[in-house]
Amino acid sequence: MTLLLGATTIGLILALLALGVYLSFRIFNFPDITADGSITLGASVTAVLLMHRWSPWLATFAGFAAGMAAGAITGVLHTKFKINGLLSGILVMTALYSVNLHVMGKSNVPLLNEVTLASQAESVGQHLFHTDGDLNILGWAVGVRDAAMLLSMAGLVSLLGFALYLFFRTNLGTAMRATGDNPQMIRALGVSVDFILILGLALSNGLIALAGGLLAQYQGFADVQMGIGMVVWGLASVIIGEALVGSHRIGLLITGAVMGSILFRLLVAIALRWGLNPNDLKLITAAFVFVALIAPATLRKLKSSPKPSAA
Amino acid sequence: MLEISNIYKTFNPGTPNEVRALRGVSLRLETSSFLIIIGTNGSGKSTLLNAVAGTFLVDTGSIKLADTEISRWAEHKRARFVGRVFQNPFSGTAPNMSIAENLALAARRGQPRGLGWALNHKLHSELRDRIRTLNMGLENRMDNAIGSLSGGQRQALTLLMASWLKPELLLLDEHTAALDPKSADQVIRLTHEIINRDKLTTLMVTHSMQQAVHLGDRIVMMHRGEVLHDLQGAERARVRPEDLLKRFDEVRRREQLDAAVAEMLRRNYI
Ligand SMILES: Nc1ncnc2c1ncn2[C@@H]1O[C@H](COP(=O)(O)OP(=O)(O)OP(=O)(O)O)[C@@H](O)[C@H]1O
Ligand SMILES: [Mg+2]
Repeated sequence: MTLLLGATTIGLILALLALGVYLSFRIFNFPDITADGSITLGASVTAVLLMHRWSPWLATFAGFAAGMAAGAITGVLHTKFKINGLLSGILVMTALYSVNLHVMGKSNVPLLNEVTLASQAESVGQHLFHTDGDLNILGWAVGVRDAAMLLSMAGLVSLLGFALYLFFRTNLGTAMRATGDNPQMIRALGVSVDFILILGLALSNGLIALAGGLLAQYQGFADVQMGIGMVVWGLASVIIGEALVGSHRIGLLITGAVMGSILFRLLVAIALRWGLNPNDLKLITAAFVFVALIAPATLRKLKSSPKPSAA
Repeated sequence: MLEISNIYKTFNPGTPNEVRALRGVSLRLETSSFLIIIGTNGSGKSTLLNAVAGTFLVDTGSIKLADTEISRWAEHKRARFVGRVFQNPFSGTAPNMSIAENLALAARRGQPRGLGWALNHKLHSELRDRIRTLNMGLENRMDNAIGSLSGGQRQALTLLMASWLKPELLLLDEHTAALDPKSADQVIRLTHEIINRDKLTTLMVTHSMQQAVHLGDRIVMMHRGEVLHDLQGAERARVRPEDLLKRFDEVRRREQLDAAVAEMLRRNYI
């Protein structure tokens, strides 16, 4: 049970990663690899500030802001210096590896006795449930910390997902969606495509860095390696989400990305429990995304291939 | 008023692919006048419209619109003054967004876009009323993605979008060329209605001599990046499709003559 609760919580946290990936890959059709670096950036900035006794909310927000800056740089490299999109992301991601090491001063920062959002959620939980031991939920023993963290992350992610949905219905947000859909058209309607792309990538990487900051607080450390392969994990969640909701409506797609992230984490937890070698996880995820990417086209081809009777 | 003075544009200068697409074009277009541009393929008609819209910057020359020098402005900045319909029906709309959202985007052409709602009740019903005037039944499909519409329906909507805020200048680049004859007629009728009603200053490129003669109050014929003929006033009023075709033949004959002379020179001197 604790295993499933933990997986769900991580799924919720990484739903912010999925939303960021959704924004860059799906809204802009921009394969933004910066994510691998910005999720670690969010984690390291937040962790180091927590070590310096910043308030957890401020430290978390600072991680978000750092991610925005990273995304904006990728956007500037692509729009102002005309560097290929994929390469822009790779450049920033590579640079961020050094930046993250500098921020942390070493490759791993543990958060043991610091006040974090996780420890705050735990004490609020103890207060509410009047216990500091385990809760009894339908016969299962559940740690207060786990339950409190799950609930607060569910609240936070719902809030942010809803805010993103509302944003996409504002003038700026619709212009952003149109920029991905048809840049020629939106330019002719007076929108600077460059500016919108920079803003969008900043927002995307801000969300991803936020996921990193929250993850560091939940698992109790930031590590310079933690971002490796995250883009593909985010993409897997988005793809699962799209399959779950099967719609192009923006609200459903956002919900789908969150659900996809949770489902993906649960599947991973179960697979590991059944004896999957953790070293194979990234290979299997990559293979899954590969299959999911080619499946629609392959299915179409199979369907439309002329049948002998029809010819 | 639009004032184009002596603009030049060369693509890929200094390479084997060099194209001198505009070679000193000057045009003065009074407010509310409707100019039709015709010319052979590759004569620079689209390039002229793109130069005004700001798709690229011209090499030299000036472009003034509404008493403002805009020749150095970025395309999205010029959009404040310019409404545009492209030849390709896919170019003018965002296919995965709804009809209502596309029009709402156009309703803020050239204005700052902040965190206000893109669509509210008032705008929605305003949009619905205007879409109803198209007589295409689209007012009941406002929330459908534009990608599901036909080319003719898209061009009609793009026209509505381009003219929504009554632009200082409307640019139409063969906007019916990709449509079937029936849809083309429908879109041309709509074009005529909108331009007449709002007295829009318009530049329209067409390959149809019928359209050239029946629409607009002035005809410019381009050739090799230059203005070859400029028919206005009484001369324009007299002109028939056959006369225009004759001028195309003239151009073609001269082209052949040029080619023949070049060939003769080559044989004699090289
Ligand atoms: N972006 C570009 N890069 C290079 N050459 C270009 C570019 N745009 C136009 N040209 C060239 O400039 C010349 C004029 O092209 P333009 O599209 O203006 O012709 P047009 O009069 O619109 O022709 P059509 O009737 O076929 O649409 C052509 O030779 C074309 O190949
Ligand atoms: Mg053309």
